[in-house]
Amino acid sequence: MTESILRAEKIVKDYPGTRALDGVSISLESGKVNALVGKNGSGKSTLVKIFSGAIKPTSGNIYLNDRLLQFNSTPDALKEGIVTVYQEMSLVPALTVAENIFLNRMPMKRGRINWQKAYEDAAVLLKKMHVNINPREVLSRLSMWQMQVVEITKALSFNPKMIMLDEPTSALAQNEVQSLFEAIRALRDEGVGIIYITHKLQELAQIADTVTVIRDGTIVGKVNMAEVRQKDIIDMIFGGFEVKNRPANIKVSDEIIMQVNGLTRDGWYKDVSFSLRKGEILGIAGMLGSGRTELLRGIFGADPVDAGSVTIDGKTITHANPIKMKKFGLGLTPEDRKLSGLILIHSILDNLNYASMDRSADGLLEDKKKRMLFAEKQIHDLDIKTTSMYNSVNSLSGGNQQKVVVGNWLNTNPKIMLYDEPSRGIDIAAKQQIFEIMWTRAAKGISTIFVSTELEELLEVCHKILVIRQGKIVKEVNPERITINELYEICMKGE
Amino acid sequence: MSTAELILNRKEKRKKVIIFLLDHTIEIMLITLVVLLSVSVHGFMTWSNWMNILRANSMKGVIAFGMTMVIVAGMIDLSVGSQVALSGVIIARACRDLVAGGMGVTQACIIGIIIAVAFAIVIGIVHGFFSHATKMQPFIVTLVTLGVLYGVGGIISGGFPIANQYPGWFNVLGGGRINIPGWIVRIFGVNKIDGIPYPAIVLILAYLLINYVMTYTTIGRSIYATGGNPESARLSGINVQRTKIFCFIMVQLLAVIAGIMTSGQVLAGSYSFGRGWETDVISSVVIGGAIMTGGIGTVKGTLLGVIFMGVISNGMTLLNFDIYTQYVVRGLIMFLAVLLSTYRARVKA
Repeated sequence: MTESILRAEKIVKDYPGTRALDGVSISLESGKVNALVGKNGSGKSTLVKIFSGAIKPTSGNIYLNDRLLQFNSTPDALKEGIVTVYQEMSLVPALTVAENIFLNRMPMKRGRINWQKAYEDAAVLLKKMHVNINPREVLSRLSMWQMQVVEITKALSFNPKMIMLDEPTSALAQNEVQSLFEAIRALRDEGVGIIYITHKLQELAQIADTVTVIRDGTIVGKVNMAEVRQKDIIDMIFGGFEVKNRPANIKVSDEIIMQVNGLTRDGWYKDVSFSLRKGEILGIAGMLGSGRTELLRGIFGADPVDAGSVTIDGKTITHANPIKMKKFGLGLTPEDRKLSGLILIHSILDNLNYASMDRSADGLLEDKKKRMLFAEKQIHDLDIKTTSMYNSVNSLSGGNQQKVVVGNWLNTNPKIMLYDEPSRGIDIAAKQQIFEIMWTRAAKGISTIFVSTELEELLEVCHKILVIRQGKIVKEVNPERITINELYEICMKGE
Repeated sequence: MSTAELILNRKEKRKKVIIFLLDHTIEIMLITLVVLLSVSVHGFMTWSNWMNILRANSMKGVIAFGMTMVIVAGMIDLSVGSQVALSGVIIARACRDLVAGGMGVTQACIIGIIIAVAFAIVIGIVHGFFSHATKMQPFIVTLVTLGVLYGVGGIISGGFPIANQYPGWFNVLGGGRINIPGWIVRIFGVNKIDGIPYPAIVLILAYLLINYVMTYTTIGRSIYATGGNPESARLSGINVQRTKIFCFIMVQLLAVIAGIMTSGQVLAGSYSFGRGWETDVISSVVIGGAIMTGGIGTVKGTLLGVIFMGVISNGMTLLNFDIYTQYVVRGLIMFLAVLLSTYRARVKA
């Protein structure tokens, strides 16, 4: 395969109100694993979308081997040999490996599917990846990393010059990652260019040849992996970040309101113990897959636990479930608000009253006036932007939807709120409002546990941060005495 | 106001009108149909014909209200027809055997009703338990009981209808009627109105009850939440399993009432009653605006759906359509209703 170079020149991408990319120039070579790193919202996914033809830049050009490329859609990019493998799998679990690779393009012979050729071709492609996967195997019988390899093999079947891998290890266990890396290296040695998007910096040393760091829509720099230390990259990613907007007078009482005693869910988290004080905002920092979300759900009783208990107000609860925990004054805003926090087809009024149903009712009978008061209170307090409480929550923006999830629980008059990634997919203004809500409720004595991938958020909001790694609390830190880079290193260490 | 604003305004207004029309599809369809039939068909717009329509559709209608709960909760119950037959058979058998053992026929019948009700509650719990705890689909669970209950009905009745065992009052729910006092009749003119059949009254009472539960109670709200998004409902601390079991029990109990009405009408219990009713019942619920994925639907809509289906059948019978043509027409109308409701979902989104 000949050398090819994918080059972007002065790419600008504007969205209403924000500039996602601001004059990005970058050059990526084939035969190498080019890592692209940056925190959430840095613009790396926008850049990937431009390369894959999913969106058009506001200005600037991309070139493949000095030839100008103009994409109107993703098939255009595919024709030029630029293939994207997305985080979400696009495979069909019930079909065989070969069928998945050639989905919709099965080799034909006299109007019928040529199964023999399909299996043979698939075997050839899989061999290029140096993996031992049977093309006749049904996909759902494979392990996660093998599925990811099939996904990449499918991309390979388009005979690409460049393959973009978007967080390919996000769903993989530690030992699987190594197997996937071997396949990726084999692919690189075939001469294909690989653009590797990740937020897991510990992977870079193992897989990346070059690293390009993007921050706030601009390229901070491109370095050869062999020449830098991980700490340098962290500094490039975060730059000179300062904690801001932190209210000065946040005081926590000494009264312990909840104690988690040796909570364990096999395979997710093990022997987790900590205590939460009244009015405290406790952060839990951890990478994806560290067990942070599962821990939060375990405390709330959303998933069963294998051992341990939670003590609230001196009462120890072993077999927790959401109904029971609600009675003890707990509330949870789940990670995925659309799938498990809201009922999208129902009105804002309804969604603000589901958790507090018993409080707004008179026995079994609903009190319409009280329901409306409950809804009005949260719409006003949380500044939910809507023309009417009878609109469906579907019509709201992400930030306002998140506020409805929060309001649903605040209506239960909770003592402890658990927030799982409350700022995911919402704009900065809404994010600040959510933090504001946490602070004001904390001042009123509501305790909070706040889980987030965004370390700067935790540093900004929390009184105390627990770091969770591979299902274990490894460290307790004071956000006022630690920098984000140090916190990041603690989260990553040992992986 | 600028021209652009005016055009935008007009567009807004037009969208509002379209949404209003789509929200009231069933009302508009029903009124249009009634107007057309009363103009074109002699004898349609009479008291006795309307009472006929209500009586003929009351049994399926009663079940349809329960089915609305089940469908709004995101589930389905295919076994209702078999329960209609089974409850009639159980009561008939209880009357026959207990009377043979020396008991009074009224006591025997009441014991039969108690057994039928208890059995229906058990079936409802079984449906709820297996579709929640084991994650079996309600479609499959109730498809199983559709067959099993039919078979049990056949076993209990020995394969033949059990006739003339019920006490004299048993046909009241299915066949009796309340006479309207003479002075009211005279206001409207003699022969213009007469009595109201009991089945019509049962239909209205069942409507009022279920509509109340669905609209004014936290149970109703839990049903909507469970069907709208079971995971969100669960994480909001709503007892999803209890809600599902409640819906399954209610529809089974309403099927028992329909069974008492049906067997009372002909004074016999037979395992072949209620065969295939589930399709008509589900059709009325869907025409009434409920969606099969759950979370949306009203009891009022279902009532209109039941009446609509009844009026169509009645109109076509008066117009001498044969039964097969009636099937085709009803199928097409259901298709139209569902098409409109998916269009409505799209316009609103």
